[in-house]
Amino acid sequence: MTVITSSPTSPHQGQRPDRRDSTFRRYLLQYGLLIALLGVSAFFAAMSPTFLTTANFASILVNSFALPAIIAIAMTLAVGSGGIDLSVATAVDLASLAFVGTLAAGWPVPGAILAGLGAAALTGIFNGLLITGLNITPFLATLGTLFIGRSVQQVLANGGNPVYLSSSKLPAAVKFLAHGSFLGVPLPLYVVGFIALVAFILLELTIFGRGVRAIGARPQVAYFSGLRVRRDIVWIYLLSAAISGVAGILLSATVSAYIPYSGNAFLLNAIGAAFIGTTFGARGHANIIGTILGVLLLAIVANGLLLVGWNFYWQQVGTGAFIFLILAFSFASKRRQQRA
Amino acid sequence: MTAQVIAPATQVPPALSLQALYKDFGGTRALDGASLEVAKGSIHGLVGQNGAGKSTLIKILAGLHRPDGGAIAVDGAFQDHLTPHRAENLGIHFIHQERLLVPSFSVGEALFVGQESLAGSTRLLNRRKLQAKATSILRERFDLALPADALIGDLTVAQQQIVQVTRALLANPSILVFDEPTAALVKREVDVLLETIRRLRQQGLTIVYISHYLSEIEAICDRVTVLRNGKDVATVDPQATSASEIAALMIARDVTELFPKQAVQSAEPILQISGLGRPPAFADVSFTVRRGEIVGLTGLLGSGAKELLRSLFGLEKPSQGSIEIDGAARSIGTPRAAMENGIAFVPEDRRGQRIAAELSVRENISLASLRLFSRFNLVQRKRERAHCDRLIERLGIRTAGGEAPVKSLSGGNQQKVALAKWLSRQSRLYILDEPTIGVDIGAKADIYRLLGELAAGGAGILILSTDLIELTGICDRVLVMFRGRLIGDFSTATASGDAIFDAATGAAERGIAEPAAAELGAGELQHVG
Amino acid sequence: MSVSYGTAAVEQHGSFASRTMPARPARRFLHRGLLRTGSLLVFIAVFTAFSLASPLFLTFANIVTVIGQSAVVGILAFGLTSVIIGGGADVVRGGIDLSLASNLGLGSAVYASLVQAGYGDAAAIAATLAVGLSVGTVNAISIVSIGILPLLATVAVMNICGGLELVLTQNTAISVSTPLLDLLSGTDRFGIPFLAYVIVAVAAILIVTLQYTAYGLRLYAVGEHREAARAAGLPVQAYVVSSYLISGLCGGIAAILYTALLSGSTTGSGEMLLPVVATALLGNVFSGRLLPTIGGTLLSTLLIGFLANGFQLLHVSSYWVSGIQGLLILSVVAATSLVRRRRS
Repeated sequence: MTVITSSPTSPHQGQRPDRRDSTFRRYLLQYGLLIALLGVSAFFAAMSPTFLTTANFASILVNSFALPAIIAIAMTLAVGSGGIDLSVATAVDLASLAFVGTLAAGWPVPGAILAGLGAAALTGIFNGLLITGLNITPFLATLGTLFIGRSVQQVLANGGNPVYLSSSKLPAAVKFLAHGSFLGVPLPLYVVGFIALVAFILLELTIFGRGVRAIGARPQVAYFSGLRVRRDIVWIYLLSAAISGVAGILLSATVSAYIPYSGNAFLLNAIGAAFIGTTFGARGHANIIGTILGVLLLAIVANGLLLVGWNFYWQQVGTGAFIFLILAFSFASKRRQQRA
Repeated sequence: MTAQVIAPATQVPPALSLQALYKDFGGTRALDGASLEVAKGSIHGLVGQNGAGKSTLIKILAGLHRPDGGAIAVDGAFQDHLTPHRAENLGIHFIHQERLLVPSFSVGEALFVGQESLAGSTRLLNRRKLQAKATSILRERFDLALPADALIGDLTVAQQQIVQVTRALLANPSILVFDEPTAALVKREVDVLLETIRRLRQQGLTIVYISHYLSEIEAICDRVTVLRNGKDVATVDPQATSASEIAALMIARDVTELFPKQAVQSAEPILQISGLGRPPAFADVSFTVRRGEIVGLTGLLGSGAKELLRSLFGLEKPSQGSIEIDGAARSIGTPRAAMENGIAFVPEDRRGQRIAAELSVRENISLASLRLFSRFNLVQRKRERAHCDRLIERLGIRTAGGEAPVKSLSGGNQQKVALAKWLSRQSRLYILDEPTIGVDIGAKADIYRLLGELAAGGAGILILSTDLIELTGICDRVLVMFRGRLIGDFSTATASGDAIFDAATGAAERGIAEPAAAELGAGELQHVG
Repeated sequence: MSVSYGTAAVEQHGSFASRTMPARPARRFLHRGLLRTGSLLVFIAVFTAFSLASPLFLTFANIVTVIGQSAVVGILAFGLTSVIIGGGADVVRGGIDLSLASNLGLGSAVYASLVQAGYGDAAAIAATLAVGLSVGTVNAISIVSIGILPLLATVAVMNICGGLELVLTQNTAISVSTPLLDLLSGTDRFGIPFLAYVIVAVAAILIVTLQYTAYGLRLYAVGEHREAARAAGLPVQAYVVSSYLISGLCGGIAAILYTALLSGSTTGSGEMLLPVVATALLGNVFSGRLLPTIGGTLLSTLLIGFLANGFQLLHVSSYWVSGIQGLLILSVVAATSLVRRRRS
């Protein structure tokens, strides 16, 4: 019998060589979103004198950025855990309804805020139970909640009629919340900043956040590592709804009313921004910074097209096409990477 | 590719001739000059340990991979660039381990999808014709009668396999490759399958038969080729060669100094299992693992070994028997409960359950022990990184750093990361499922060294493996399971690899009657007449 | 443990990897059949309840009216069903077409604009169907060639279509009337709305195409078990593309009907998306094998139509309809996954 020798060690022990990825190319892909943001801003700055003014930026941030950003951050949590939350719209609406309703009934502002958050939180818990208890995929579970939420609104608000708060009934605190500013910065932006900070810390720095990442990447491995996957999922959807609830409260404060189904308008933007945000950074995860850049990008594109004089309706086409291009770029390059 | 001499016209060229194939995957060499020559109209067996290169060889034949070197000839004609389409056109068909049938289809639909006209359904889909044709073919060829409305998902594995074989036969293949076809079958079904294959040979087909069960190889193969470490080491006549000789060819007899065997003193038991069972997967299993002991567990697919392992980590609940950790009976219902009892589990590398490939090395290493690096629930990156770096060094993990995504690492290093995850927890009992499959020799040595250290430090280790070198090399004892029962407890100091191998592959089975299988509630193929 | 998460790796089909144990056919038939029979019973129960509660319900006129009014949502749901058939059970990663409602809106806008501009029905029909097919093509290309997730791709396309519709209509309704539109929105001498004929006809054509042709069988294979379909030699991508084309075409057809129903195009067609998705998903429960089918979708369309109609007749607030749809989806999905889990 011949002496058996062990197989020769191959030259590429350890890591697979990255032949094609030059550093430049890698940075281009990682920070592509930021580059796109700067590029688009530069483009519009060149095309329109009013673009690069503080007034304009303030308007963008308060009107087209603040609320969408909050909801997109909520969506990011859900997407980061490997799911999706279509019922953020419901959370926005129910929180808005509870807030306005309790204010109209004479509740003090803090109580009304708690009521709003509570309503939103219930939506989140409902989602969490559907997903972990009945094993329904997040898409379908939150879709169901969306439908049920619609009915709830119709029943509670008399067929989906808006509820207006007369200015006499509107407490000063609420007015300040929506329209006031501190140190020159509108209050809503502080809210966004606060939520973004908390969400960032939660997702990037806490044990819980690590768990979420692991669940989003490989739920099996997470389970095998002793993570309480079901409990964490419920928390995720609870948080997602609660954060959206904040947006709902802010929205109501701004328009002094509850407008039914207003949450729906934010839904697609949030999904788009959250997924576009995954292209930011080296990992391809959903992340808070990427999402914020995504919302900002979409807001800037919409604003830019407006300033450049595009017909209002062409703006939507333009924004839609833009989202499409970013998605195409991101997925096509992911595919190419996988084949390499 | 060098020019080859074409066989003279008077000789019948071999149906299949794979010559000196080489294939590398990233850091590992899967095929190292493997050759295989299959005579026309014969049944040719292919055996080898897990990781020896069998599946790579077959995938190359199927056109799914391109070899880095070597040549392929079918019926004497050389094939430049084999694709799945071309392989099919050449008449090469595969019966995979995974039955590629649509679960919700009826038998007729599954058989004829893509080739509906073969059943006489031309314009509109005539399901009755599909089903009628299917029923008649199955009856003629295999004596098999299935209920008319049976769906693929409702069939037994054996029945699904027969459907798959039938589908392949519809294409009039010249070469059929069976990849581990009997892993999930009971004895009677195995016999039927083997008889079927013999009949196919009579009809002029050439068969390549891959299996771990040497008894089957002996039963039907004309010749068998043994693969080891990516190379063919011998082609023998299974009738003339004993199972143990073939086994010896599969295992490198020369064991290099891989195993730092440290003598184990009989110490207190960490894990004590009594009468553990979860029928029909396994039943009545009892054994002990002591501190400082490395115990091997082995058994082929279907032996219940995997299910046993899963029960120990809370992934499945045993319905009988008890588990004692450190002398106290525990109920282990979830992985978390297992972890809290000091048990660590490194699963096998299937479906990506061993490691989170998209996450970084650091994130994987700390995943099971985040509390240790955190204060007020905030993960302290610095401590985590330091710990991670220490483990990278201790285990010799070759990586671009702690931040590198795990999927960029070679198989061996990924496995080290998986182990590192548990080292952070100071576990008392390490359970490993096939820890060195796909791991290169250098990493293997490192892992064995580590396991020895852990045992010396007082942990107990339970390894499930089908690698005999590994089992005899590093374990103090080897437990053998076969079709749901624990049938052997060998001390590696005294027992030979042959004995273990025989036990695992059912040498003893040639004598065991049906009752054992029946106890597990095995089903039966329905026969006509 | 099996926990399902949207975009995370989800096994699309039950695991049929080697088991040591044979199946027990009898019990499985019971579960699956039970769900489907149960759902049919629910349908009948609802029908009966409403007939008893309101004398107006079980009249010929009422029933055919409901069928006619379900035409638009139904045909859109058929399109979505085709995509789901070809894409598989995982709605997020597999096939889904969220652009259907905007497709319809755009198509309707095109039709109305062309008529307003003086073109006849023939040109308008051709254009609308072309729009539908184009949307389907764009969806197919982005999903199959570029590789964008169907959920995201169709959402992006939805946005673009919505924008184009706004451009065409300037966010106002366009009222038009043509002989064809008048015909479609009317009834024949038996009092049966022509729309009812259309939905039945489209359903019939699609049922034949998807259930009774080789193409349909293969599309099911592609959706349910892509690997098996590939092993069977099917050009998987081509089939996926075709499913999106069917969907786009359905959007175009529905657009024409919608325009007829409303005598022009209106804003807010996007509202229809969610009911269409709900309808398509509910349809699974009416098929024997718990698969998406056109017949099942037709039944669920009618079920929801009759529910809404019944509520109307009974003066029950329509507020509950949406909620009931949601509960139905959730119950159906939960029950389906329960049955599936007992399998594996």
